[in-house]
Amino acid sequence: MKSKIWFLGALVCLLLLLAASRAGAQPAPSSQDPLMNLMLSQPKIDISSPATATVEFEPPVVRPGDEAVYRVNFNALEESVAWPEEPPTVPGLEFQPGGHGEIFQMGGGVMQPRTSFNYHVRAGAPGEFVVPEFSVKVYGKPVTVPAARLQVTSTPPASVVPARRLRVEVPGTNLYAGQPVRARVIYAGPPGSPVQGLAQVQLTGQGFIVDQSAVQQRISNVPRGRTSAPAYVYETTLTPLTAGPVSIMAQGFLAGLHTSGPVVITAPGGSQPITIGGGPPQYTLLDSDPLEISVRPLPRRGELPGFTGAIGTFAIDPPSLDTDSVQAGDPVKLTVTVRGDDASQRVVPPPPPAPGRDWQIFAAMDASGSPASPTSRRFGAPGSSKPVCASFSYTLIPLTTEARATPAIPFSYFDPGRGAYVDLTIPPVTLTVKGGVASADARALTQREPADAETEKEPTLSGLASAPGLATDSLVPVQQRAWFPLLQLAPGAAFLGLWGWDRRRRYLERHPEVVLKRRALRGLRREWRGARQAARAGDTSRFAARAAGALRVACSPHYPAEPRALVGADVLALFPENERAGRVGEVIRRFFAVSDAARFGSAAGQADGLLALKPELDSLLARLEERLRA
Amino acid sequence: MSNSFRISIGLSLLMLFAKPCLGASIESLFHEGVSAYGAADYERAADAFGRAAAIQPASGTLQNLGNAEWQQGQTGPAIVAWEQALWLDPFNQSARNNLRFARKVAQLESPDLAWYEVVSTWLPANWWAWIAGLSLWLAVAMTLLPSIFRRRKTAWQQAVAAMALMVFLLSLPAHAGVYTRSHIGFIVEKDTPLRLTPTADSQNLTRLAAGTPARWERLRGRFLLIQTPEGLRGWVEKSCLSAMGD
Repeated sequence: MKSKIWFLGALVCLLLLLAASRAGAQPAPSSQDPLMNLMLSQPKIDISSPATATVEFEPPVVRPGDEAVYRVNFNALEESVAWPEEPPTVPGLEFQPGGHGEIFQMGGGVMQPRTSFNYHVRAGAPGEFVVPEFSVKVYGKPVTVPAARLQVTSTPPASVVPARRLRVEVPGTNLYAGQPVRARVIYAGPPGSPVQGLAQVQLTGQGFIVDQSAVQQRISNVPRGRTSAPAYVYETTLTPLTAGPVSIMAQGFLAGLHTSGPVVITAPGGSQPITIGGGPPQYTLLDSDPLEISVRPLPRRGELPGFTGAIGTFAIDPPSLDTDSVQAGDPVKLTVTVRGDDASQRVVPPPPPAPGRDWQIFAAMDASGSPASPTSRRFGAPGSSKPVCASFSYTLIPLTTEARATPAIPFSYFDPGRGAYVDLTIPPVTLTVKGGVASADARALTQREPADAETEKEPTLSGLASAPGLATDSLVPVQQRAWFPLLQLAPGAAFLGLWGWDRRRRYLERHPEVVLKRRALRGLRREWRGARQAARAGDTSRFAARAAGALRVACSPHYPAEPRALVGADVLALFPENERAGRVGEVIRRFFAVSDAARFGSAAGQADGLLALKPELDSLLARLEERLRA
Repeated sequence: MSNSFRISIGLSLLMLFAKPCLGASIESLFHEGVSAYGAADYERAADAFGRAAAIQPASGTLQNLGNAEWQQGQTGPAIVAWEQALWLDPFNQSARNNLRFARKVAQLESPDLAWYEVVSTWLPANWWAWIAGLSLWLAVAMTLLPSIFRRRKTAWQQAVAAMALMVFLLSLPAHAGVYTRSHIGFIVEKDTPLRLTPTADSQNLTRLAAGTPARWERLRGRFLLIQTPEGLRGWVEKSCLSAMGD
């Protein structure tokens, strides 16, 4: 027992040693990794300080109908603030949502987050309005937003200045989708105050993109009333993407300029000196009123080949080849330079035309040799009226010596001023192609290219259908509607009827006596009815004729014979001997005697008392009818 | 004149004049939608095309409705409209192209179709029923009528009967395909929750993107049991799925 305990103890120790040695064998994080060092050297973000909220009205006193900004600031990350979606409600105050954002401020060796939420507030009547304090969760804990007071009076103190706002400007408010324009965000500041810069300027809204690589910032004089005043101007390129009304709003944090004190720039000629504010930044979130622009879709009609989305006014320099003489099968480079009104306009090179018999053309590349992109542009160009928007080059391979010039490459742009597409086809450039044999690979590429081009064709949204097209009364399939199976039964019923009719017809053809009996029955009923009518009218001779006719018709199928050809003896022959000699025979003879006398004789027969025989006649005809039915 | 006679006369007149009036209304709605689309007022365009399609579904109207919905960022309704346009007219290349475009942009899958469903997409959905009915009765007529009318069956009559029977038999799978395709629907709401059970408080299995295709299997209350192409089965609210034959 003791040895077992020793053995188990030794085993546990061994396992612990092994585990410790394996843990020690793991490589320690390298302290020499520069990226890691850079990350570690970054100041930490302060999220441990207690979250607090400050609130202000800017300005605290306004005239009725004037606008003030209700601004709430937190020393916390924006993501951590569970800000209510609905604005505060104060009777008499109208709240409109403004900008909201986050910025970091260095302090105490850490980056302190600053988050702000703006509302634009307007009051219609004088009075004192109080936004009561309320609670917001920050980092999951409730933080109290203090109450704020706004005084609305028709005679505010002269020292009160209006709320600081940004202004957004675009050259036009009727644009085409895809048309890039220079958008300016201007901050002029209160009159007489030094110019301050903005940080984290954003254009917010739906349906447009902003080119962050085309940002320019400057301080320049902008009109203010009848005079001009220095202002901070942030300029970038904005491209509307979706057609329809688009709302653009600007926001940014007032950051001042990072100088130890104000800088005064004295302009020559006695102009007003520009004072640039200094000191530590305050990071106040400012925003603008929304700017509404109307965006139209590009017209489909009149689109020219080679249109790649270029909108503006463009021109191309004469294309150049890197050599004027080339051997068949060797590549040659065609360089194209596109100029536009604005260097920041983006231009996508047109796709190469489908390979022909003489040329193999590869997609355009930019100067660095990578596929040309809209950003391949240069600012300015000496000796040209327009700045260069893009410069790209095509690699072409002549396949035969018959090629005398490069093929024209279709290219076009849309001119928003004229509202039309403009042809900008890259013209052919002459060159000499010397003898040589195109490689098999080049020829194979030429053969394969059309198929590849077809399969790689990018789908795009089509235009509208010009007519409603193929229509129906419901999207439910007809076979699932109640009337369709019923409709399908109609031809079935028709065919079934035809088939039954055919079977009956064939049966009657095999049994003609059935037809004769049926015909006799109809004739019997007709004559019988006539006899009854004659009896009611007291017309003895017609009664006799009808009765004899009925007897003839009823007996005709039994011979068979035409009813008119039968005589009384033929009728009597159908009755048994005893009846022929008895009353039945007498009645039949009587009727035939009167009838024959009327038909063949000149004098009328003895018709007296014939009407009294009607019951016997009826009984007789009923018996004959029964025989016909059998 | 009795009341019933007057009512029947009134109904007949209504039937006589309602059709041209309806046609004029659809035409005006269609043109209203086209002009609103041209003015980039996509909401009004979608409303006009939607009303025209509600009165009389037509391939071109549904294609335009899809375009207007797409321009408003309504991926699900746009895909439904284009699919319905193809349901009515599979030869509508613009609607087919728009579906390819939308699915590429929104990274959505096409419905996973069985072979007989693929066959059913070759012709407008309603044509198959008419083809099956006509070919069946043509075969029956060519077989029965000569003997009924005491004519000798000629070779061409027998050939037509055989051909019609063949067409009927070949149309049967497509017929079945139309039926099963009418149970394919598309999610119209963004981030539609796929629920484990048909209850509002149910656990969510996942969220489906607008335009995701699904086959609905069963209706229970206001929930539909659906299966996605990835094999996920669950319940969605009926209003979140628009079926092809809706």
